[in-house]
Amino acid sequence: MRTMQPSVTIGSYTWAQDRLPSDEFELRLADLRAAMERNSWPAVLVYGDVRDHAALAYLSNFIPRVRWGMALLPRSGDPRLLCAMSTRDLPAMRGLTWIADVRSGMGPEWTKAFDPWFEQLKTDQPLELGTLGFDLMAPVLVQAAHRSLGEHFTLLHADDILTVPPERKRPRELTMLRASGKLVESAAKRFVESWRKSGEPESAALDAERLARSLAAQDVRTLISLDGGRTLTPFAGRFEKIAGPLVGYVAVKLAGYWTDVFVTADENPSPAARRVAAALDALIAAVKPGTRAGDLFAVVAEALAPYSLHPALSGNAGHGIGLSLDEPPEFCADSETELVEDGVYALQAGIADAEAGNAIVSAIVRNTASGAEVLLRSPA
Amino acid sequence: MDERIAVRKNIRLAAAAKYLANNNRDGLIAASNGLNNFLESNAVYVLSGCRPMGESAVVLDRDGRSTLIVTPAWDAERAAALSWTDNTIATDDLAAALASAVGTHHIAVPRSLSIGLSLLGSGIAARIEAALGALPQAADEFARDLARIRTAEELKAAEHATWIAERGYEHLLECARPGMREYELAAELYCFTKKLGAEDNFLLMSASQHNLAVRAAGERILDVGDIILSEITPCYRGQFAQICRTTVIGEPRPVVREKYAILQDAMRAGLEAGRAGTTVADVTHAINGVISQAGYGDYCRPPYMRVRGHGLGITSDRPGDIVDSNGRVLEAGMVFVMHPNQYLPESGYLMCGEPVVVTDQGCRALSAQLAQLDVIPV
Repeated sequence: MRTMQPSVTIGSYTWAQDRLPSDEFELRLADLRAAMERNSWPAVLVYGDVRDHAALAYLSNFIPRVRWGMALLPRSGDPRLLCAMSTRDLPAMRGLTWIADVRSGMGPEWTKAFDPWFEQLKTDQPLELGTLGFDLMAPVLVQAAHRSLGEHFTLLHADDILTVPPERKRPRELTMLRASGKLVESAAKRFVESWRKSGEPESAALDAERLARSLAAQDVRTLISLDGGRTLTPFAGRFEKIAGPLVGYVAVKLAGYWTDVFVTADENPSPAARRVAAALDALIAAVKPGTRAGDLFAVVAEALAPYSLHPALSGNAGHGIGLSLDEPPEFCADSETELVEDGVYALQAGIADAEAGNAIVSAIVRNTASGAEVLLRSPA
Repeated sequence: MDERIAVRKNIRLAAAAKYLANNNRDGLIAASNGLNNFLESNAVYVLSGCRPMGESAVVLDRDGRSTLIVTPAWDAERAAALSWTDNTIATDDLAAALASAVGTHHIAVPRSLSIGLSLLGSGIAARIEAALGALPQAADEFARDLARIRTAEELKAAEHATWIAERGYEHLLECARPGMREYELAAELYCFTKKLGAEDNFLLMSASQHNLAVRAAGERILDVGDIILSEITPCYRGQFAQICRTTVIGEPRPVVREKYAILQDAMRAGLEAGRAGTTVADVTHAINGVISQAGYGDYCRPPYMRVRGHGLGITSDRPGDIVDSNGRVLEAGMVFVMHPNQYLPESGYLMCGEPVVVTDQGCRALSAQLAQLDVIPV
């Protein structure tokens, strides 16, 4: 779900070694190194920025708070992490990642930090390096990378070859997603309670945010409706009283892992509210390993008929979730992607209709061999 | 459209259209990556008044007709309500919508200018280039130059953002206590400033008995003797304003008071030096001069400090970083943060900074109370 990107994220990003120890990253890197071996890449370069950093976070635990970061991961030898921060800020950056060698890549520091690292990889023949996330990188930085690598290396976009992070979640990822889910559930409950007291959607969203942040959330995003659920809008600080229903959204990031949930609350549930709850039930029941994402969209479309999916859901009945709020696959009408066991997915159903009313609900599930395990669901 | 919006439309869009006409250009494409960097000018915000959530663009032709394009598609009504462009389009395919708008405005891309395309991801930039058939000539400094002087309304918003920052700091003084984690204090401060109307806040806040720099809040538990550094930067109606503060839990060591006074002296020298017509380098020299005179000339460089201040987005980050290599001339009405923040070996890193507006008499702090070394009694 797209929300307003804050200028900086303020929660604690210190590497939680008790929850995500170094051996976890060694295993993740081992998988990547096997892919390097298969593709004859001496290294993979992984880029991420403040908004999109799932691959970078998966492999390094580093999440840029401002600007960008890039991990230089060799098939053998020691990795290096570049971040777009001043040398003054490097001691703090070193506490955010398991990678020992952290350098500034800003301005003149780029050539000091990026260029020399590749000396160890050079051979007589040009070599191909895999890249992840380079589509997110500003053209000027891409050009700087090409200049630095010269004729010794060529860059190959590996995003279509490697799925990083993998759709199937690792055990520790599932643990983090459960913890994140508990936090977002608490925040959603506070969202509704606060709205019932104040009638101000923005105050309610802020109360939910405050709760999540006080419980160590790294980031909190909210959307609210100022027109009874027909449209959604980001926080603007106006705090107007709005007649119901309350329709809103809250997302929470904990130790890198996002979970999110829609809230819909009204004194007297509308036909739309009843219909979307039933659609979500149908969606949850249809989740199994091997199910096509497009088929799940069809399940929701049928359950909502004659109404169509709420426009705020952008034609998706769900998507993957984890180190990004929007991981693949999208559950859109034409998606052929099959869901995998131990994949974690956000499922969503919503209606905006002048007569039936407006409502959006969602759930997060883990896909198991016996069907969906519901990790959380919109508050009743 | 209310009067406030109409005035801003006249100022920024009309000036941009006039520039295009005078320079024989067909049009302007201004893009934003939606990342809201508080140190950058957001050209889409400057030209439309809408802070975008995703990648977005404004198309302006030389006759002054304008179109805002935002992503995602469901953001249509908010964007249209905020924007003072003639048209607003919401889409999930920026490249295609941009190509369509360029056609509607009858703009020849090779005879046009662009802002901010270089900040977009290379993937979307390549899709835009393919959709347009070429890229316009980059004029990335144009929006920040256009908006370098705050309008009266923008200055008022910056003053209000400063008021929020100061109330936020007062709240920090009330809340901070031994046993609290940094992130808990940051959460309280962040949400408090949002409750006062801040739509964003670039907040760095950390503590140590001997700080090396300010950083984002972590899990550290506050205790007696900790020196809390805070860089509180709320944004109100598109205007970021930053105050930098230093707070000690319990009575500070005398040397900390002594060294903090050096930063206060440097700040006063900077305020006095920052008259319209002088350069950024002059201000930097005035600040560094005080610190050098106190015997710390070797510390006036990274990693002991970064810059002596900087412009504030998201309209214009002019006059840029306050460093001795910046020869930009200060103009009345420019707003930036001046901060002689400094690591000194005896005290660690200390922070002292105010948002200022340039006047003919010097820089005027927007804050009611200049930074002092504050103490939380225990």
